[in-house]
Amino acid sequence: MQLDFSIILKWLPQFGSALLVTLETTVCSLLLGLLFSIPLSLCKISNIRPLQWIASFYTSIFRGVPLLVQVFMMYFGIPLVLPVKFTAFQAGTLVFAMNSAAYISESMRGGIKAIDRGQYEAALALGVHYAGMMKDIILPQAIKSVLPSLVNEFISLLKNTTLIASIGLVDILRVGQLIQSRTYRAFEPFFAISVFYYILVMGLSFLGKLLERRVNKSDRR
Amino acid sequence: MIDVKGLYKDFGSLHVLRGVDLHVDEGEIISIIGPSGSGKSTLLRSINLLEKPTFGEIWVEEKLITPPDPYLHTEIIRASYTYKAMMAARGEDIKVIREIKEKDLLKENSRFLRKEGPEYYALLKKIIAEHYENAYSVRRRVGMVFQHFNLFPHKTVLENMIYAPMKVNRLERPKAVEKARALLDSVGMLAKQDVYPDTLSGGQKQRVAIARALAMDPDIVLFDEPTSALDPEMVKEVLDVIKRLAETGMTMLLVTHEMGFAREVSDRICFLDEGVLIEDAPPDIFFSTPKSERARTFLDKVL
Ligand SMILES: Nc1ncnc2c1ncn2[C@@H]1O[C@H](COP(=O)(O)OP(=O)(O)O)[C@@H](O)[C@H]1O
Ligand SMILES: [Mg+2]
Repeated sequence: MQLDFSIILKWLPQFGSALLVTLETTVCSLLLGLLFSIPLSLCKISNIRPLQWIASFYTSIFRGVPLLVQVFMMYFGIPLVLPVKFTAFQAGTLVFAMNSAAYISESMRGGIKAIDRGQYEAALALGVHYAGMMKDIILPQAIKSVLPSLVNEFISLLKNTTLIASIGLVDILRVGQLIQSRTYRAFEPFFAISVFYYILVMGLSFLGKLLERRVNKSDRR
Repeated sequence: MIDVKGLYKDFGSLHVLRGVDLHVDEGEIISIIGPSGSGKSTLLRSINLLEKPTFGEIWVEEKLITPPDPYLHTEIIRASYTYKAMMAARGEDIKVIREIKEKDLLKENSRFLRKEGPEYYALLKKIIAEHYENAYSVRRRVGMVFQHFNLFPHKTVLENMIYAPMKVNRLERPKAVEKARALLDSVGMLAKQDVYPDTLSGGQKQRVAIARALAMDPDIVLFDEPTSALDPEMVKEVLDVIKRLAETGMTMLLVTHEMGFAREVSDRICFLDEGVLIEDAPPDIFFSTPKSERARTFLDKVL
C-alpha cells in the first residue's frame, strides 16, 4: 500500500481545532483538579477521622473504576438519576479533574507532611489561625514540591483525554477516526497523531525535569 | 505577669513536667537551665499553648490560658447528671464529684459526654470554645524565638516581618513596613530586608527571627535555646541582640546553655530537673551555692 501523507495536510484545519479541544480539556481538567485537590489533601492530613475516611474513599473510587467507565457514568449515567445535564466537554473535564484531584492530593499530602513542624509552630506562635497558616505558610510551600508531579499529571491527562472521543467530542483522536472512515486510510492519520502526542509529551517531560531541578535547588539550605 | 501553677505534661506514659510552679513578674528576665530532656522546651511551649498541658494552670496577665479542665468547672459539674443525681439522693461532697469527674476526664470519652445530655454537652462545648478563644489570643502577646529560627523560606525577610502584624494585628501595610524596618535596623539586618532567609547565615536568621517576634509587640518573649543551632562565631551577635532587648525592660523567659550569659542578664535562674523546678534563685546565689546535689552535678559538667 502506498503511503500518502498529504491527506494530513488536507485535514490540517480539523486537526487544528481538535488540538484546541484536547488542550482545553487537559488544561481545564488540570486546573480544576488542582483546585479540588486542596480541600481533599486537607482532609487527608486532618486529625478528624471521618474526613480522612471520606478522602480515602474518594481516592479509592477513582483508583478502582476504569476511566472510560467513569466518563460514561458521568455523561450517560448520572443525568438519568440526578437533575443535572452535562455537555460532553463538561462531563469529560469533570471526570478528569476529579481523577487528577485524587492523584494530586496524594502528592500534596506528601508535600505538606514534608514541611518542618517548625513552620507550623512559628505561624501559631505569631497568633496566626489554622486557616491563615495553611493558606499563607503551609500550602505555598507544599505546592512547590507538588509542581513536578503536576507535570506528570499534565502528561497523563493529555493522553487520557483521548477518551472524550468516545462521548462524541472532536479531539485529535476523533479527527483520526474521521479520516479513517472517509478515506479508508489508517496508518497516516494515527501515525501523525502518535508523533504529535509523542513530541508534546517529550516536551512536557523535559519541562518537568527542569522544574524538578529548580525546586530542588531552592530547597537546598 | 505569668503564673504557672502545678503544671503537668505527659506524652503518653512519659511524665515530662511533674508539677511545675513558676511566677514571672513584669520586666523580669528568667533563665531556665537544666539537663537535656528535663522538659525545658515543653515548659516554654506550654506557655503559648504549642503544647497542651495535661493538668495545671497557666495564667498570663490575669487570664487563664490553659485548656479548660471542663469537669472541674463548677458550672459543668452542676449541670452533670452525676451531680444532680447525687444531690437528689443526699447532699454529696463536691470533692467526691470532682474525683468521679476526673476519672471521666482521663477517659476522654466523648460518647460519655453525650450521654450526660444535650444541655450539659452544649454547655461544655460553649465553655471550651470561649476558653480557647481567650487562650489563643495569648499568642499575640507572647513572642517566641526558636532554636531553629523557623523563618518562612518562601517569604523575604521583610515579608516575614510584616506577615503576622498585618494578618493578626490588622496593621496597614505601610505601618507594618515602617515598624519592620525599624526593628530590622535595630538588629542590624535592614540591608537584608529583600533577601530570602535561605541566603542568610544562622546568626542573621536568628536576629531576623527575634525582630519578627518583636514586630507583634509582645509583652513577653520566650527564647528556646536561641543560640544552640549556631556556629560558635555567630553566638555573640545573637546574644548581643538579646542583651540589648533585656536592657529595654522586656520580660523574658530564656532557655539556654550559655551559662555566662544567663548569669549576666538574668534576675533569676530556674533549674529544671526531670520535670521538676528544683531551684529558683538569683544567679549569684545559684551559681555560687546551688542547694541541690543535682544542680551541683549539672554545673560541674557545664562550667
Ligand atoms: N511531642 C512529643 N512527643 C513525645 N515526647 C516528647 C515530645 N516532645 C518532647 N518529648 C519528650 O519530652 C522530654 C522533654 O523534652 P523537652 O521539653 O524538649 O526537653 P528539653 O528542652 O529540656 O531538652 C524528652 O524526653 C522528649 O523526648
Ligand atoms: Mg529543648
